[in-house]
Amino acid sequence: MASSTGLSLKFSPLSTSFKQNKVRGICNVNSVSLPSRGMRLGSLRLRVSCAAKPETVDKVCSIVRKQLALPKDSPVTGESKFSALGADSLDTVEIVMGLEEEFGISVEEESAQHILTVQDAADLIEKLVEQKSA
Amino acid sequence: MAFTLRSVKVPLNSASLEEARGRVFDFFRKACRSIPTIMDIYNLDDVVTKSQLRSIIASEIRKNTHVTNPKVIDLLLFKGMEELNNIVEHAKQRHHIIGQYVLGRQGLAQDLDTKDEGTSDFLKNFYKSNYF
Repeated sequence: MASSTGLSLKFSPLSTSFKQNKVRGICNVNSVSLPSRGMRLGSLRLRVSCAAKPETVDKVCSIVRKQLALPKDSPVTGESKFSALGADSLDTVEIVMGLEEEFGISVEEESAQHILTVQDAADLIEKLVEQKSA
Repeated sequence: MAFTLRSVKVPLNSASLEEARGRVFDFFRKACRSIPTIMDIYNLDDVVTKSQLRSIIASEIRKNTHVTNPKVIDLLLFKGMEELNNIVEHAKQRHHIIGQYVLGRQGLAQDLDTKDEGTSDFLKNFYKSNYF
């Protein structure tokens, strides 16, 4: 809700006629302004919602599981630390390289050192994919 | 001159174990990033996958985890870089790569001869090791 009101405030100079019906106005503003401001709307929406998409986290989890040879039912969530799952530092680097190959991104050394949990990795991937497509 | 791009200009001189560890990870990343080139040069697409090569490189590095002297680690890294250079500049050939890095653990599963199909599991385990 906060995001939608923020959007309506931003686009009110553009669409003064829509001020009467706020709800419909917002929908119309979205549909009209998407072609021109699609990038900004997309990035705004990503920042408002949760940090990483669940399918990214799932892909990361599957790669981690395959790399560390964990059984299917072991708990691998966003908060599991790599060291807790039995990965030493070389395993972590290997997982990062696997993610680089899977998502077609290139991770810097400094950012790779700060990856401690699965969620960190997913967030970094999201950021890099966004940068690459932007 | 492709090999000069990777060769170390100044000999490695790690002050501490942490610096050597950082260098090892840099080397590993360099090697992983050159895996697509290697697979292309030696036509390894039918033989291994990229992730298998990655784990093979990681296991080679892991063979030396017990080393604690930074100078020894530097030397091992130097030899590793030399090997990587040789592979990337096509100084080696396909059978070298396959024999030295791909095979050697249990052998490629698809290369088992037909004569091995009939042998029992007992014999297979016996040939592998003493304890099963």
